[in-house]
Amino acid sequence: MAKQVITRRASDNAYLHKDFHGALSVGLEYLEEHYGEEAVREYLHRFARAFYAPLTGRLQQVGLAALEEHFAAMYRAEGAQPRTARTADDLFVEVDACPAVVHMRRHNYPVSRLFYETTRTVNEAICEGTAFAAELLDYDDETGRSIQHFYRRPL
Amino acid sequence: MISCTDFIPAYSELFKFLEEQGGKEAVEGFWNHLSDRFLTNLRDLVAEHGIRGCWLYWNHTLNEEAADFTMELDEEAGVFRIEMHHCPSMGRLIQLDHIEPYHDYCRHCDVLYRRVLEPMGYKYEVDMSECHEARCSLTVSRPG
Repeated sequence: MAKQVITRRASDNAYLHKDFHGALSVGLEYLEEHYGEEAVREYLHRFARAFYAPLTGRLQQVGLAALEEHFAAMYRAEGAQPRTARTADDLFVEVDACPAVVHMRRHNYPVSRLFYETTRTVNEAICEGTAFAAELLDYDDETGRSIQHFYRRPL
Repeated sequence: MISCTDFIPAYSELFKFLEEQGGKEAVEGFWNHLSDRFLTNLRDLVAEHGIRGCWLYWNHTLNEEAADFTMELDEEAGVFRIEMHHCPSMGRLIQLDHIEPYHDYCRHCDVLYRRVLEPMGYKYEVDMSECHEARCSLTVSRPG
C-alpha cells in the first residue's frame, strides 16, 4: 500500500462546511437539556450581540438595506433563493426552506426543537439598540421555511 | 439562521457561555457529548476502513473548511498525520477584532477525536504548542 500525501492551500477550496449546522444544533440541544430553554435564547442573544455588532452598526447607519444585503448573501451562499421586499420602514425576507435545516434533515442530524431561535432570537438581537425591530412571522420546523419581518419601531 | 461560515465564532461563544454556567467541566461535558452524538461518521468510517477512515473523514471536512494543510496516510505503517499550516477555525477567530476566542478553544479537537479513536485501539497525539498561531499537528497510529 503506497503512502498517500496531499497538500491543500486555503485558496484551493471555498469555505462552506454545512455539517457545522448539525454541530450547532447539538449544542442547542445540550444547552436546553442541561440549563433550560431560556439558556438557549440567552446564549444566542449574547452571541448575536457580540458577533453581529458590526452588522447592527450598519443597520443603525444605513437602515434596512444593510440587513437585506446580509440575509440575501447569507442564504445565497448556502444555496437558497431568498425573496426580499424592502421599503424605508419594512423589510421582509422569505425563504422556502432553511439551508441549515435541509442539510441536517438530509444527513439525519438531530434538529434541535429550538433551532428556530437561531432566526428569531438572533434577528431580534441584531436589531437591539437600533430604530428597528424583528419578528418571525412564520416558521416551519420541518423545512425551516420562514417569513422574517424587520420594521421601524413605532415612536 | 446562523450561516455555517459564522459557526466557528458561535462555537467559541458557546464554550464561553457554558464555562460561565458550569465551569470548565460544563465545557468538557459538552465536548464529550458532541463527540458521542455527532462524530458517528468518523467512528463509522474508521470501523469500516481502519486507519484509512481518518483519511476519508478529514479529506472531506478539511477541504470543505478550506484549510491549509498537509495530510499523510501510510497504511502499511498504520500512521495517519495532519500538519495544519493554518487552521481555518482558529485562523478565523484570531482575525476577528471584535470578539475574543474562548481561552481553551483548540482543546476541543483533542477531546472530540481522542474520545472516538482511543477506544477503537488507536493512539492519538496532538501538538498544540503553536495553536495560538493557528498551527497544530495530529498523528493517529495503530499500535503494531
